[in-house]
Amino acid sequence: MKFVDEFRDAELGRMLSAQIVATVEPGRHYKVMEVCGGHTHTIYKYGVDDLLPSNVELVHGPGCPVCVIPMGRVDDAIAVARHPEVIFTCFGDMMRVPGSNGTLLEAKAEGADVRMVYSPLDALRIARQHPDRDVVFFAIGFETTAPSTALTLMRARAEGITNFFCFCNHVTIVPPLRALLESPDLRLDGFIGPGHVSTVVGARPFEFIPRDYGKPIVISGFEPLDVLQGVYMVLRQIAEGRCEVENQYTRVVPYEGNPRALEACAEVFELRPHFEWRGLGFISQSGLRLSPRYSGFDAEVRFPVPGIRVADPKACQCGEVLKGVIKPWECKVFGTACTPERPIGTCMVSSEGACAAYYNYGRFARERQVV
Amino acid sequence: MSLADFSAACSPGTPCITCSDQGTVMRVVAAGAGGLAVCAGVDERAEEVEVSLLDAVLPGDLVLVHAGVALARLGERGTS
Repeated sequence: MKFVDEFRDAELGRMLSAQIVATVEPGRHYKVMEVCGGHTHTIYKYGVDDLLPSNVELVHGPGCPVCVIPMGRVDDAIAVARHPEVIFTCFGDMMRVPGSNGTLLEAKAEGADVRMVYSPLDALRIARQHPDRDVVFFAIGFETTAPSTALTLMRARAEGITNFFCFCNHVTIVPPLRALLESPDLRLDGFIGPGHVSTVVGARPFEFIPRDYGKPIVISGFEPLDVLQGVYMVLRQIAEGRCEVENQYTRVVPYEGNPRALEACAEVFELRPHFEWRGLGFISQSGLRLSPRYSGFDAEVRFPVPGIRVADPKACQCGEVLKGVIKPWECKVFGTACTPERPIGTCMVSSEGACAAYYNYGRFARERQVV
Repeated sequence: MSLADFSAACSPGTPCITCSDQGTVMRVVAAGAGGLAVCAGVDERAEEVEVSLLDAVLPGDLVLVHAGVALARLGERGTS
């Protein structure tokens, strides 16, 4: 398919690799963070890092929404799902994320009516089919998914549907990036910026990164050549002494984003004063909740939720992985007590989590040998 | 849907089906009413997609779809 095949061309990849080698200073070590879990997945699925010189290190960022969900929110979801009148709907990966006392999948096995959906529109369809039940959708994701939830709620409101509710866990990407940049233990030379978030919000929200923190950022797509070219553009900025927001993903991302999507989000959501991120703690104005106009669809208004903060398991080092401080295989439980089949941490659950990407593509064994 | 189906949905090597900023390029098969259109991905499986965030789409257009919603139209018309 056009816009897919040409961005997987091996020969072009080798040419870009040669350009990267020619751009970097041999004695200098470069650390570039890819913000999105989608980038992490691409890097390991296609072996993008194999095309980089050894002094260019990719660090995996916090841009997997499953990975940053704290255990307490999973507990809240399970509490809602256990109500007998509820059909609880969520995306597949979310079902396997452990709370303090099990997963949604285990709650389903114990009798809760938990169903997997591919979009909030699927959940709304279930609500139409079951007017005698309360259908709750576990909304999760960054600015890419928030418009989908917003449009679904607008549709529900227009249709007068009263048995559809949203358990809102949408988050925004700029506050955690700022928190990361303020972190004293973080050493980065630049960022591969979030491609599809930028489809919605545009490139402008990332201007603070070069302006306030002196780091280049290149918004990049998700095919292997997109990521490779994004890395090259970051390194070229460094080599040329530039520091700015660049857009590699021009075929999709307009600088101003998608105004209609932003309007839909502004209509349906408002910022929470603060929201907890796994490994990063509470970050102010980083989460979304339903606006008063849509409070009738708010699952947290309709159902009591425990709302208890739960500490991560001591052995799990998802927080350090999410901040790029350690590599997944450096975590004490990686590949032993924590595997995709029996995950302890969220980074091992989502197929775009850094730990799962390392595990599924066999990177941990190789990198251990190198070290 | 069985428990095995859930596991299969998250099998290694497949894209994350949650929302980690991973969209899918799809081709518009038929523009429908009420902000919806029928689209097909690489596997040619047709599904209903919300397209109200875009200017009017036409059959043959390529769109970037995320969680059932088209966020952007790709390229110039007639290049697909």
